[in-house]
Amino acid sequence: MSNIKHNASDDAEFAKPLYTPIKRRSFFMYAGATAGATALLLSGCDDDNDGGNPIPGMVNVGAGSVGVLNYAYALEQLEAGFYTTLRSGAYYMGLAAGSAEKQIMDDLYYHEVIHREFFKAALGRDAATAKITDDLKPDFSGIDFGIRVSTAGAAKLGVLNAAKAFEDLGVSAYNGAARYLSADVAGLNYLVAAGKIVSVEARHAALIRDLISEGSFVDSDVVTTGTNGLEISKTPTEVATMANNFLMAGSKLNVSGLV
Amino acid sequence: MDFLNLLARLADLDTPTLPAAAPRRTALSQLGKAGTALLPALLTGLALPAAAAAAAPQDTRTRLDALRLALQLELLENEFYSRALGLVTGFSAVPFSATEKTALQTIQRHEAQHVTLFQRLITDAGSALEPAARYDFTGSKNGTQPALYPDIQTNPDTFLQVAQLLEDAGVRAYKGQVEFLQTDAYMLEAALRTHSTEARHASHIRTMRRQRGASVKSWVSPADASITTPGSGAAKVYEGEDNATQYVNIGTILTKVPFDSTLPINVGTPALTAAQILAKVAEAFDEPVNAITATALLQLFTY
Repeated sequence: MSNIKHNASDDAEFAKPLYTPIKRRSFFMYAGATAGATALLLSGCDDDNDGGNPIPGMVNVGAGSVGVLNYAYALEQLEAGFYTTLRSGAYYMGLAAGSAEKQIMDDLYYHEVIHREFFKAALGRDAATAKITDDLKPDFSGIDFGIRVSTAGAAKLGVLNAAKAFEDLGVSAYNGAARYLSADVAGLNYLVAAGKIVSVEARHAALIRDLISEGSFVDSDVVTTGTNGLEISKTPTEVATMANNFLMAGSKLNVSGLV
Repeated sequence: MDFLNLLARLADLDTPTLPAAAPRRTALSQLGKAGTALLPALLTGLALPAAAAAAAPQDTRTRLDALRLALQLELLENEFYSRALGLVTGFSAVPFSATEKTALQTIQRHEAQHVTLFQRLITDAGSALEPAARYDFTGSKNGTQPALYPDIQTNPDTFLQVAQLLEDAGVRAYKGQVEFLQTDAYMLEAALRTHSTEARHASHIRTMRRQRGASVKSWVSPADASITTPGSGAAKVYEGEDNATQYVNIGTILTKVPFDSTLPINVGTPALTAAQILAKVAEAFDEPVNAITATALLQLFTY
């Protein structure tokens, strides 16, 4: 699918619902768009079908609410794996007992493991769902777990640089994927649940950023401070491209069902 | 709607940030946008079937209410920060450090942008804005009752305490409104993107307070030193935030997630107690508040 950045406020208002069932109460919203949309659809082929990477061995998250849950589960596995790995690294091991930064890293570890287990529970105990593997293989070879913050131009990310990348990515992913949850009772429940989680991820992201550079909690690479003050959301395709840099071959994500 | 006005709106929608070869999906969204703006004229100009006429007001009320609550919240926050920064006549700036002031200026700018956004979403849908509210951030309702925060315009600690209240409340309020916006992918995403921005604000305000010596994490925690009096109106900001029970849908049945018993999350040394794990669970989920609670919180500072 197209690499549309969701940093303009007018994006994609009507695109997705055009080919999903419309409730009667939404009918009038669509009436104005229908004539023009029909003409456009007739004028060319759909460009939404090339997002799926057909490489065998990728982990396909699926579609609809289950797809969103699998997608979130994959990202939380990645985050939890990161905070788990860092606990045996030199940076964490060197933090003084009772220090503020150790307490923060402990909290982040527990929060992300709890989020992972939440989605595992949501997916794993229902025979009707197609849960992805519980054992995504991360590739953290680009992270130096002995370094707090990497110097500019360094080959590897420091721990806080990587934490920032994961937390920012998580927030942008939740914000961009909520629209793919189905409009039924379960979908609504998971919309609320995702909302409960994403704000905690945003709190994490802001703190990690402030640890790296005081006052960078809403820098323009994550919030459109120059225009409408909204956090930049990312499509599943954009997120997967970044997340796959931290996943081994065979564990890389295919999110072609989330369009 | 007159024709020139329509053209002006279409021009306004043609955002310059879009790539030159705009994808078809974007083109569709712009048509959709214009369709929304035209909608009120169409509705008032045509005789509606009875069933549609009955359905339309209910739909409008639901989404409009969510947008109006968001706007009320952003208006209040914008005024709150603007007064503290000395931007409002009659209010002298609260004495912050240069670093603190810079952060608060950034936050205020976002709140003003959010005001503009939600005003536009409401008016573009053909709905009217409500009259401006009057604010008293001391909580004295313009001197008609004892002040809750009498030194808010002079004491940075008091100001930041109320800022934390408002930001945490805002995060909860947005969370409570997303369900009313689910059928509209665009508005849903706009609300969620505002919501996480507010969460970043809340985190930073809490970090600022911690730097000033307050015992508070950057996320809502049972370990935070309380900043509200039990039973007070302000205490509602944190009521229910210590919830450690989350549910998942198993088929059609809501099932409790057994965080404290069977899940492999307890690997610390020494191991955490069940109560300590549940405290982490409470931290890991921010809880929503409904519109009634959110409105009551806004009422603390309006008269």
